[in-house]
Amino acid sequence: MDTIALIAVAVFLFTYALIIDERIHRAVAAMMGAAVVVFIGIVTWEGLLEHIDFGTIFLLLGMMIIVNTARGSGLFEYIAIRTAKLAKGSPIRVMILFAIVTAVVSAFLDNVTTVLLLTPMLLYVARVMNLNPVPFLVTEIFASNVGGAATLIGDPPNIMIASSAGLTFNEFLIHLAPIMVVDMVLLIGLMYLIYGRSMKVSPDERQELVRTLDSLDERAAIVDRSLFNKSVAVIVFVVLLFFIHDRIGEILHAVLPFVDPAMGLEPAEVALIGAAILLFWSRQSPEEIFEKIEWPALFFFGGLFVIVGALVETGIISSIAQVMVENVGSTGEAMFIVTWFAAIASAIVDNIPLTAAMIPLIHDLGATMDVYPLWWSLALGACLGGNGTAIGASANVVVIGIAEREGIGITFIDFLKVGMLVLFVTVAVGFGILWLKFAV
Amino acid sequence: MGYSSALIQRKYRDIVGRRYESVLKEYGEFLLADEEMLVPEVRSILVPLDHFVHEITDEAIDVLSAYDATISLAYITDAGVVELVEQTLDRASMEEFQAKKEEYGQKLLERAVAKLEEHGFSTQTRMFVGHKGDDVVLMAKNHDIVALSRRYADGESADLSISPTVLRICQRVEIPALIY
Repeated sequence: MDTIALIAVAVFLFTYALIIDERIHRAVAAMMGAAVVVFIGIVTWEGLLEHIDFGTIFLLLGMMIIVNTARGSGLFEYIAIRTAKLAKGSPIRVMILFAIVTAVVSAFLDNVTTVLLLTPMLLYVARVMNLNPVPFLVTEIFASNVGGAATLIGDPPNIMIASSAGLTFNEFLIHLAPIMVVDMVLLIGLMYLIYGRSMKVSPDERQELVRTLDSLDERAAIVDRSLFNKSVAVIVFVVLLFFIHDRIGEILHAVLPFVDPAMGLEPAEVALIGAAILLFWSRQSPEEIFEKIEWPALFFFGGLFVIVGALVETGIISSIAQVMVENVGSTGEAMFIVTWFAAIASAIVDNIPLTAAMIPLIHDLGATMDVYPLWWSLALGACLGGNGTAIGASANVVVIGIAEREGIGITFIDFLKVGMLVLFVTVAVGFGILWLKFAV
Repeated sequence: MGYSSALIQRKYRDIVGRRYESVLKEYGEFLLADEEMLVPEVRSILVPLDHFVHEITDEAIDVLSAYDATISLAYITDAGVVELVEQTLDRASMEEFQAKKEEYGQKLLERAVAKLEEHGFSTQTRMFVGHKGDDVVLMAKNHDIVALSRRYADGESADLSISPTVLRICQRVEIPALIY
């Protein structure tokens, strides 16, 4: 290994260590690592533009604009109150309904925003029922990660994989969504077995919850009715557009003959079109909305792409791919390694940097094997691996961080015990389905 | 704070920033706070009466019946007016004025007691000459709720505005106030 390659590896490892430890903001650590590899010429300006996946960054940007604009309408609070009311005072129903709503919302919007907006309601319901909120919170975390894994736009690893491998929204629905439905059923069953007994409430407490929740008016949560309607309409439109983004030319050509029938829209384009429509239609101040964009997250992604790009430029990734090719006998074996390595590693490293490093490796494996199944293995492992530890995914950190602020302790070890069980069960089932689909 | 807890807080701060505070603020608009969820223990309710309060309304009694509390009815004749009558007329006129007020007050108290006892309340009554604002604030210290008619100490105005004395009492008492 030459000096340049050694430096690239050192920068990669050091930056990832900083990201795990987070004493320095992850975005700053990634930018600093990128600055080093650019400064010493490992990644040139042309290389930098090539390695930064603008498909991922623009998709995240577009969805952030949509979500931040919709947030102002009270849409999420409305959903939270409606969900709590539907439970009719039953703690088990609260857990199941919130798990389902969290999974569905996470499948289409980002996980952090979803849990950030649903957690206060869950805490409120648990407080009214005088129940330990931990079972509700950990179920919400797992549901968010499982739901996020179901679609192209649900979780950053999926966005990164789709953008790099050119996978469509519908391919995710075909290959991952059914697995996540099965995993959700398993998850709810597991949570019921683990926590069901601790969720008993007396009829009086149940009545008290029903009375308290009935006194909440979900319509009062809608602070801007017009924005609420426009947000719902645009989100539905964007989701529909995602369904047809790769065939949009075909559909448009029937109405507008000048449109090239071969034309397709990238997912990032769909998100930005949706963002533009919502900003234009809602007349919200763009300054206010753009201020709410999570710029550090976008720079974090940019930095990671450059750091991993340095490994590609110096041949490290292709060397690792070479070793894998020499030692892996079949697609099924490669799927097994990618799935479980991604699952366990992303429980430790955080699934975003893990996915950033794995993507070029799988591209390199493509020279000698069919890597199509490996993308699904990576998505499955990276998304569900996040359930393993308290720091495995952003949603985990957010919910546990909120719980700590509210004086509810979820220790690393307590989470690990349940998280690892959920990780192994959901990944094993998911891997089994993928293996039957692609390797048998 | 252990390493894992500190680590989660660092990561939380970097991922969420101040967004949770704004979410909580939005929820705070319609969710009850912890202290609001505690049902206060109410054992005694003060109901001040005077010449301008003709009855305790059924709506007020409905609300008060939510508590298993004793109702203290206090009929107050304004000491300032009594003094003014004595200064401008004479002592006999003042005593006559006071006797008429007491007679009216006694009847009002009897009607109110009968109505409240019909609804199962236990009651206490007192009647005195005093300050309609300051004395209610003082007495409120020994009660859990004060229920005030909007007409209390307000003359015979025809509109539905709340008496300034009632508003001042609400600002000064430390217990919940119900205006009917």
